[in-house]
Amino acid sequence: MARPPDPTIGIRSLPAADLALGVPRILAAADLRLPLPRALALPVADATPAVLRVELHEGAPAVRSFHFSPPALGTAAPAAPADRDHKPAHRSTRRTRIAPPQDVVKLSERFFYLLQPDLETMLQAGRLEFPRQPFPFQLDGMAFLVPRHGAVLADEMGLGKSMQAISSIRLLVRSGEARQVLVVCPKGLVSNWTRELADWAPELVVAVVEGDPQRRRWQWSLPDVPVKVANYEVLVRDRDLVAGLGLSFDLVVLDEAQRIKNRSSQTSEAVRSVVRRRSWALTGTPVENSADDLVGIFEFVAPGQIHDRMQPRAMGAAVADHVLRRTKDKVLDDMPPRLNRDERIELTAEQRETYRRAEEEGVLRLADMGREATIRHVFELVLRLKQICNFDTATGESAKLDCLQAELEEVQASGRKALVFSQWVETLGRLRENLGRFGALEYHGGMSTTARDEAIRRFRHEKRHSVLLLSYGAGAVGLNLQFSQYVFLFDRWWNPAVEDQAINRAHRIGAVGAVTVTRFLSADTIEERIDEVLRRKRDLSDAILSQAEAPGASGLTAEELFALFKLAPPRSDERPDSVAA
Amino acid sequence: MEVGPDQGGTAHHGEGVGAEAPSYGFLTTVESAAHGLFGGYLVVDVLGRPLEFHCTAPVKVTRAQQILYGSTLHGHLHGRQIGAALLAESKAEPALVLTDQEAMLSVRPHTRLPVALVKRHEPQDGATGGLHVQPHASDAAREGVIRDWLAALGAAVDVCEPFERIRAAIEEAQRH
Repeated sequence: MARPPDPTIGIRSLPAADLALGVPRILAAADLRLPLPRALALPVADATPAVLRVELHEGAPAVRSFHFSPPALGTAAPAAPADRDHKPAHRSTRRTRIAPPQDVVKLSERFFYLLQPDLETMLQAGRLEFPRQPFPFQLDGMAFLVPRHGAVLADEMGLGKSMQAISSIRLLVRSGEARQVLVVCPKGLVSNWTRELADWAPELVVAVVEGDPQRRRWQWSLPDVPVKVANYEVLVRDRDLVAGLGLSFDLVVLDEAQRIKNRSSQTSEAVRSVVRRRSWALTGTPVENSADDLVGIFEFVAPGQIHDRMQPRAMGAAVADHVLRRTKDKVLDDMPPRLNRDERIELTAEQRETYRRAEEEGVLRLADMGREATIRHVFELVLRLKQICNFDTATGESAKLDCLQAELEEVQASGRKALVFSQWVETLGRLRENLGRFGALEYHGGMSTTARDEAIRRFRHEKRHSVLLLSYGAGAVGLNLQFSQYVFLFDRWWNPAVEDQAINRAHRIGAVGAVTVTRFLSADTIEERIDEVLRRKRDLSDAILSQAEAPGASGLTAEELFALFKLAPPRSDERPDSVAA
Repeated sequence: MEVGPDQGGTAHHGEGVGAEAPSYGFLTTVESAAHGLFGGYLVVDVLGRPLEFHCTAPVKVTRAQQILYGSTLHGHLHGRQIGAALLAESKAEPALVLTDQEAMLSVRPHTRLPVALVKRHEPQDGATGGLHVQPHASDAAREGVIRDWLAALGAAVDVCEPFERIRAAIEEAQRH
């Protein structure tokens, strides 16, 4: 038996006879399971080893470059260099950054905002002094306004919207981004604005457009005045003049912008006709009665951004980047508290009788009218009943007045001051007659601007005047009365936004202590039923501005108004969408 | 091109405070786990306002580089690859280039501009915090002038703050 081949041997031994077959035959016959070793012949001398090159350096990375052109340094002198071992003056560690708005999409423009110094640095470097240190949330407000072409600053009343707007205007003027600014405000607030501009931006030259047509034409034409202030009525009157002069503004700021919520009004049209690059609206009540109010404001701020068929949630999402709203409880930890009291007043016996009769007769009349009854008829009944809740039309008795007098004795005794609001000038007059011992002063739209300013001055500076009686219309807007610690709502307004405005004349930045708000509510009357509707309106405003769930109903609809008296609503052609405040 | 302090010959721009309004360069990198290392270079005026901004595409380190550069890899990446590329693109001639990363000091051989490391020390153990300034070794002789420039800038701007802006801008660029 043949021995198996030794696997350790590379070459099998072949029988001698195979060698005669020749190499190919030998190979073919050979067992090729085992590899045959190859011998390599290597030259020894002049050996050049192969080189393996490993690429380490990939070359310079691609670079994107952006160039910016800040205004010439002459517009803001650099601070003097300090000594070599200078420790920079203490700076707040907080840095308020200006973020690019969402509608800025070009990378270079987004970089422009991202690469700016923080606001605190810009203010210090530009030597922009403030009479009072801004709150952090106010710096946030400025960071919000400065980069935006369309913005609504909707902070709760009393948080310093005008200060934030003025400070932002300063930054824009200082950086050369704004040379012509127009501030439009209610007539009664023009002096307020000139005071605040002098306070917060003393370096800015300001002109108030007022007076006879010739004077106004000259004022509109003034070339080197960075800030002009005009009231809404002047703008409506001078609309054609402004257009005829070819005026355009880098920025138009509307104060109390809810004035233009009605898109078809002359005021709204006049404001929108002004040629401008930036449009800012300041309002503590962007939604007063319905979502349409916000649409009206946005026709000025960012036309086409929203429309009135949008659901509240969708509207909230669409305006989110354009609207900034803060409330006191969220931003002011150290704000003096606001103490709310609902004073439930029992009518006097005579008042109750007068009220009962008036309501019965009024409801009967409405029922008799059937479908002929209109909103106006219901409105008139509501107003009449509310007036009886204030003062008995037959006897002049007033349970509310009795309560108010008792409260004011305490206010006067403590050396404090109080504001009393009513929707009727006649009521204010009657209150003044009865509250003479408290030095009551009046403030309403029927007074001249001079008389109103004088009333404020005396109330502010003369101790003997403990009470200021104001109408919601004139007194709820723009006044700074933060030295008053008591607010009485003698009768309620149609919507909570205006009531909040009234309350915030006192409860605002600078308030010296807690502000007590007393809302009079006549028990078992129309006032209690209206109060319920007012609560629902608050929910609407919150729903839009906080993008919460949509509320079931919005505004004081015709159905709701008639439901106050358990009546059927009027004919559809007499029915407005909501009751105007 | 490698330029050191003793080469080039021309006087450094803006030598001594009091010359025309200077600008300042801020050089740093941002690491992204997904993409690699981004470089950013911001030039600001004496009030801290942006004049130029340059940023690189991400640079990824290869395995071969990791092995063969060893401990010199950081300096190579930051200084030679990224820093030099950024400074080469800039048209500005700042008085000073500042960085908050020690590895970036190695850009110095690739530029005529003085380079210094700045870092803020937080207050610790009763000691007050402060600013640590370390010029590149080749600029040690000009430390006095460098501190003067820093003081001029520091009067308006927190000298460590612009690095935050660069990081924010690079983050933004990644989103685009």
